[in-house]
Amino acid sequence: MSALLEVKNLSVDYITLNGAVRAVDDVSFSIEEEQSMGLAGESGCGKSTIAYSLMRLHRPPALIADGSIKLGGRDIIKMGEEELRQFRWDQISMVFQSAMNCLNPVVKLEKQFFEIYKNHGITKNRQEARARAEKLIEIVGIPKERLNDYPHQFSGGMRQRAVIAMALALKPKLLIMDEPTTALDTVVQREILQRVYELKKELKFSILFITHDLSLMMEFCDNVSIMYAGKIVEQAPAQTILKNPQHPYSYGLKNSFPSLHGDIGYMEGIPGSPLNMSRIPRGCRFQDRCFRAQDICFKEVPPRQQRGNDFYDCHNPMGTLTGSRN
Amino acid sequence: MNYIFKRLGFYLIAFVAAVTINFFIPRLMPGDPVQMYMAKLYQTSGKIDAETIAAVEKLFGFSKTKPIIESYFEYVGSIFQGNWGFSFSQYPLTVIQALTRGLSWTVFLMGTSLIISFLINNLLGIVAAWRRGSKLDSFLTVGGQLMANIPAVVLALLISYTFARSEKFGIFPAGYAVTPLFRPANVLQYIGDVAYHAFLPVTCIVMLQLNGIMGMRANMINQLGEDFIAMGRAKGVPEYKLMISYGARNALLPVATTLAMQIGFMLGGSLIIEVVFNYPGLGKVMIGALDSRDYPLMQGILLMSTILMLSANFIADMMLLILDPRLRKQGR
Ligand SMILES: Nc1ncnc2c1ncn2[C@@H]1O[C@H](COP(=O)(O)OP(=O)(O)OP(=O)(O)O)[C@@H](O)[C@H]1O
Ligand code: SF4
Ligand SMILES: [Mg+2]
Repeated sequence: MSALLEVKNLSVDYITLNGAVRAVDDVSFSIEEEQSMGLAGESGCGKSTIAYSLMRLHRPPALIADGSIKLGGRDIIKMGEEELRQFRWDQISMVFQSAMNCLNPVVKLEKQFFEIYKNHGITKNRQEARARAEKLIEIVGIPKERLNDYPHQFSGGMRQRAVIAMALALKPKLLIMDEPTTALDTVVQREILQRVYELKKELKFSILFITHDLSLMMEFCDNVSIMYAGKIVEQAPAQTILKNPQHPYSYGLKNSFPSLHGDIGYMEGIPGSPLNMSRIPRGCRFQDRCFRAQDICFKEVPPRQQRGNDFYDCHNPMGTLTGSRN
Repeated sequence: MNYIFKRLGFYLIAFVAAVTINFFIPRLMPGDPVQMYMAKLYQTSGKIDAETIAAVEKLFGFSKTKPIIESYFEYVGSIFQGNWGFSFSQYPLTVIQALTRGLSWTVFLMGTSLIISFLINNLLGIVAAWRRGSKLDSFLTVGGQLMANIPAVVLALLISYTFARSEKFGIFPAGYAVTPLFRPANVLQYIGDVAYHAFLPVTCIVMLQLNGIMGMRANMINQLGEDFIAMGRAKGVPEYKLMISYGARNALLPVATTLAMQIGFMLGGSLIIEVVFNYPGLGKVMIGALDSRDYPLMQGILLMSTILMLSANFIADMMLLILDPRLRKQGR
C-alpha cells in the first residue's frame, strides 16, 4: 500500500482579537489507499480544523499557517483557486459535521446533485444528472422520487444519507466524514456507516473518520489518530489503541467510553478540562490532566517515539510499544 | 395554502380593528363634527332645515338618535361598500374622490422609492458582506449608519434647498408632481416630466432608507457562516454563485419579512417628504384635512393608509412564499 494522503507539519491559526490561536500545531499524518483512518479527540481539539484544511475550505479568520498537504502527489496548499475548485469533491469529498444543515434550504435535492455534475464538467444535461442522482440516492436508501423535495422535507437521518450520496457522486479518492452521525440514534448510525463501508469496498476509496465516539471508531477504522489540544499525540492500529494504548490521553479517552462488546465494564472520565489554546504551557500539553506526569513533562516537549507508521509523544508511556502491521 | 389563509385572516382582523378605531375616534373627540359642519353651512347659505340636518347626518354617518352599535355596523357596512362618506372641506366630493389623486401620487412615490431602495440596499449589503472588512465595506457600513441617523426633515430640507430652491444648483422643481398647465405632446414627455418632479423626493426617501444596507449585510454574513455555503464551496460551486444563489437568496428571506415594516416607516416619512417637496400626495391631503378639520377625510386617509400597509404586507408575504420553499408545502 502506498500513501494516498500525506500531511506534513500542518499548522492552522485562527486570528482573533487577542492574536493568533494555533488550533492545529505541526501535525503530520498519512492515509494509505483504501485505508480507513480514525481521528479522535475531545471537542475543540482541532479535528474539524484539520478536515477543512484537507479541502482548503478555511475562510478568514482561519488560516493555514504552515505545512504541506499532498494527495496523490499534488500539493493542495499550492493550488490556484480554479484548480482547487475542480479538485474539491472530485478527489476529496466531505460529509460535514453538521450534515443536517449543509444542504441549501431553498434548492431541491435534485438540483443540488446537478450542481455537482455541472460544476465538474460531467454533464450539463438535467436528465442525465437526474439518472445519476437517482442511482446514488437509492444506494443510501432514499426513494428516488424524493429528489424532487427540499431539504426541510427530509428527516435528519435522510439528509445525512443524502449528503453521503452527494459525497460519493464523483467517486473521490478520499472521503472525510466529520462526526457524520452524531445527531442520529445508534441504530441508524451503524446502519449508515455500514452502508458507507460497503461502498468503500466497491469504490475503493480511503476514509478519514472523525468522531469522539471511540467505540464506533474502533469498529470501523483500521488506524486511529488521537488528537489533543491541536496535536496528534498517538497514532496506531485501532486494536492497539483499544488494547494497548501508549499515550495516557489515549488511555483516558478509551476508558471514558463504555466497552464495545456489551460488557459495561468500568468507565471513567479524564479529569480536568481541555487545554485553553491561547495559553499553551511549556513541556507536554497534557501535563495538568495526566496521571503519569513527571517533572520532565513540565519542562520538555515529549519526543516522538516512532515505529513504522505508528507513534506516540510521551515521556512516560503506558507500556511497551506494540508492533504495527507494516 | 394554509399559510396564505392564515395571513389573509390576520389581515381581515387587522382591517376590522382599524375600521373600529376609525369609527370611534371622531366620536371621542370634543365637539360634534355634524354641528361644526352645520355652522359652516349656516355661514355660507344662511338657512338650515330639518331635512338638511337629516341628510347631513346620513352623509357623515353621524346620528344622535341611533344607538351607537347600530351606527357602527352601518359604518362598517358602508366602508366595505366603498361608501366612505363626503369630505367636509371639498363638499361635493366624496372622501374617496378627495383622496384618490393624492393616493395615487403617494403610491407612485413610495413604490418607486421602495423598488429602488430595495435594489440598492440589498446589492450593497451583499457586496459589503462578501467583501467584509474591505474599505468598501467600512465605507458602506459607516455611510449607512450615518444616513439612518439623519432626521427625515433635515435631509429633506437640505436636499430641497440645495437642488430645488437655491439659485445655483436649483435645477429641480420645488413642488408638484407634474408641471402645472403642462400639455405633454406624448407619453414619453409626460413620463419624463413626472420623473423630473419625483427625482428629489425619491432620492430623499431612498437615502433615508440606506440603513437597510446594514440589515442585508448582517443577514448575508450570517448566511455566509452557514454550513451549506462551505458545502457548496466544497462541491465546486463557483464563488459568484455561492454569493448569489447560496448566500443572497437565503439572506433575502428575512429582508422580505422586514419589508412590510419598512413600508410602515416610509408611509410615516412620506408625510414629511411630501410637505417639504410640496408633492401632492396623501400626506398633503392629510395636512389639508387637518387644517380644515375635515374629519371624514382624515378618517378616510387613515383607513386608506391601513389598506396600503396591509397590501404591502400581503405582497411581502407572497414574496416570502415564493422565495422560501419551507413555507410552501406546509402540512405535507
Ligand atoms: N472561527 C473560529 N475562530 C476562532 N477560533 C476557532 C474558530 N473555529 C474554531 N476555533 C477554535 O479552534 C479549535 C478547534 O476547533 P475544531 O472545530 O477544529 O474542533 P473539533 O475538534 O472539530 O471539535 P468538535 O468535536 O466539537 O467538532 C477550537 O479550540 C476552537 O475554539
Ligand atoms: S509526556 Fe508526561 S504529561 Fe504528557 S502525556 Fe506523557 S506522561 Fe503525561
Ligand atoms: Mg468538529
